[in-house]
Order: sequence, then structure tokens, then C-alpha cells
Amino acid sequence: MKDPYETLGVAKTATPKEIKKAYLRLAKKLHPDLNPGDTRAEEKFKEVSSANDFLSDPERRRRYDAGEIDAAGVEKAAHRFYKDYAGASGNPYETEAAYADFADTDSFFADLLRRRAQEGRRARGADQLYRLEIDFLDAVNGAKKEIGLPQGGRLDVTIPAGIEEGQSLRLRGRGAPSPGGGEAGDALIEISIRPHPFFSRDGDDIRLDLPITLIEAALGAEVKTPTPSGPVLLKIPKGASTGAVLRLKGKGVLHGDKRGDEFVRLQVMMPTQPEPELEAFLSSWRPASSYDPRREMERQS
Amino acid sequence: MIREQEFLHLAQVDRATLTVWIEEAWLAPAERDGERVFEEIDLARARLILDLRQNMGVNDQGVGVILHLLDQLHGLRSAMGELLGTIRETRAAEREP
Repeated sequence: MKDPYETLGVAKTATPKEIKKAYLRLAKKLHPDLNPGDTRAEEKFKEVSSANDFLSDPERRRRYDAGEIDAAGVEKAAHRFYKDYAGASGNPYETEAAYADFADTDSFFADLLRRRAQEGRRARGADQLYRLEIDFLDAVNGAKKEIGLPQGGRLDVTIPAGIEEGQSLRLRGRGAPSPGGGEAGDALIEISIRPHPFFSRDGDDIRLDLPITLIEAALGAEVKTPTPSGPVLLKIPKGASTGAVLRLKGKGVLHGDKRGDEFVRLQVMMPTQPEPELEAFLSSWRPASSYDPRREMERQS
Repeated sequence: MIREQEFLHLAQVDRATLTVWIEEAWLAPAERDGERVFEEIDLARARLILDLRQNMGVNDQGVGVILHLLDQLHGLRSAMGELLGTIRETRAAEREP
């Protein structure tokens, strides 16, 4: 965001009252519903509103003035204006009062309007938007969910395996009914995915940090490892280090008929309680071959 | 479709105010089974009315005037869109051999 003072055209010393006044003066001129065809006015209106919200918060204003924060990150969520609905077909409020006289004297125009009125009655119902938050594993494996509708009734939603954050599902004919005899609109369901406590997703691959003990790392082991389709036994090679990545083929996200992989990053964990025997052993231990994990780093610096 | 109770909550207005708005024909909800039912456009219109009255200092008479002009403006905009569409179709038809 630009400097909010500049956006509102006020001095940095402006009082809250002066800011409010500057905002109102601009808002009246730029309000999107009073400029329904002007996208630049809408952009400008959003800037002005953000600047006003920002400067109306005394704490935020103080911190901005002190240079502690910048003015970013205060954009409001997209807000739909009246014009966004009024411009769609089937607006019950719009009137021909402003041009009915043309139709009286011009048969071409009158025909056109008659046709339009008929089309309006046949118009499709509006699409309706819903948001659905699902669990990480439901997104990976697919699931069936139900949405309770505000007006009563339910929508059954089949989540396909491998759905991604922000993707939308379209249920044909489950939106608003047509104002006349046309077909109903669609229900659009926007999916958001709750994060998982230990899995994360990288396209069709799953990533997991797997803590292992010092003994498992040194001697090798078979360790029970979670995957989205249930735990499997993972073979840890002898002498594994933190950061080593092992691949579980085909344990990732199903995409069409292909499955991604699960990548397991090992994390060697030291014992959490004091281990006098281990300490005693390590202080007398002399590695058989030279062992300097920072050699490469030092050579390059 | 939005029921009256929910509409009052979403628009943040009380029932008496809503009744006045409907009497003034600022809002024209549909009726189903003797109950008022609202659409998204009614909600957006209610928010515009609130915006005009609370944030832009327009009084009640002014709201009526503005809404009436806006309804004419949207009527004009869709008639213009219709005309442009017809002109475009005609020109495309002329270009066909």
C-alpha cells in the first residue's frame, strides 16, 4: 500500500477529524456503486478505504509514524458491491424509466427490449459460492462431505483425492433457482485445507520429518512411519544422519492414476535425559577414520 | 435465498427499519409462504443503503433519490449492453460471405 497520508491527501499532523473528513470527501466521489462502470474508481476507493482504516486505528497509526511497521497488509477482504449484483441479468430493481421514451418512438429498440425481457425470464439462476474446510488427509485420500445450507437442506460433496488448496468444485444445478423457468445455477465450493501436524504437501509428494533415536541412526533399524494411507515400516540405513531423505515410493498423493511419493527426512534426536554411560563412552571414543562434518564448509569459506 | 431473520443479522438492521425500507420501496423482497425472502442482491442493496446513510451523510430523502437514479442507471447500462451485443452480432453477420 502507498503512504496512507498521501492516499487521503492529508498532512502527517492531521487530526482524526480531518482524516475522517478527507476520507468521506473521496469516498463520496469514488464509491463503486456510484461509479458502476469505472474500475479505476473502484481500485482507488479500495486504496482510500484501506488508508482510512489504517489511520483510524490510533495504535497502528502511532507505530507507522514511528517507522515500526509499514502500511502493507491491511487490504480488506474482497468486498462485493451492489453494482456486482445489479449488473447481472435479472436485477429486479432496474427500471426502463430513463429510456422508455426511446422505445415509444423506435420500433427497433422496442423489439430489442421485448426480446430482452423474455430472455430475462428464461435466465439461469445465480451460482452460489460456499467454502468448505477439510482435513489434510481428506484432501489427499478423497472423502465425502456434507454442507448444511443456510436456507436448510444439505449438499453432498464428493472430494476427489488429491484436491488442492483453493480449488473449486462445481455442483451443476445446485445453485439458486432461475427467476423464471430457466435452469438453476451451480453451487461452487471452494476448498481450503487444514494443515496437518506432521505431513506437508509438495505437489503430489508428501513430506515428513521423522525423528529417530541415536541408536536407530547408528545401527540402522526398521521404523514404523506414518503415510497418508496408514503406517509402513521404513528401513533406516546404518549410519544415517539428520537431513538424509528416504523415499517411500507410491505413498504420496493420488493424481489421476499416478501416485506421488512420500519423502521422509530423518532427524536424529539425542536422549532427553542425561546418559552418563553414553557420555563416558563418547569421551573415550576415538573415531577409526577422520570425521569432520564441517570440512566442506571450511574449505569454501 | 435468505430468510428474514438471517437477513436482519447479516445486514445489521432491525425489523422496524427493514419495514420502513420496504414501505419506501428501497427494498423489494419476494414472498414465499407468507414470509419475506431475500436474495444476495437485496443484501448488497441494504449494505449500500447503510453506506449512504451512515458513512456518506445522505439523509432519507436523498437515499430514495439516489436509489431511483441508480436503478435507472443500471437499466440504461443493461440496455446499452444489449444494444452493443446486437450491433456486434449484426456486424459479424455482415462480414460472413
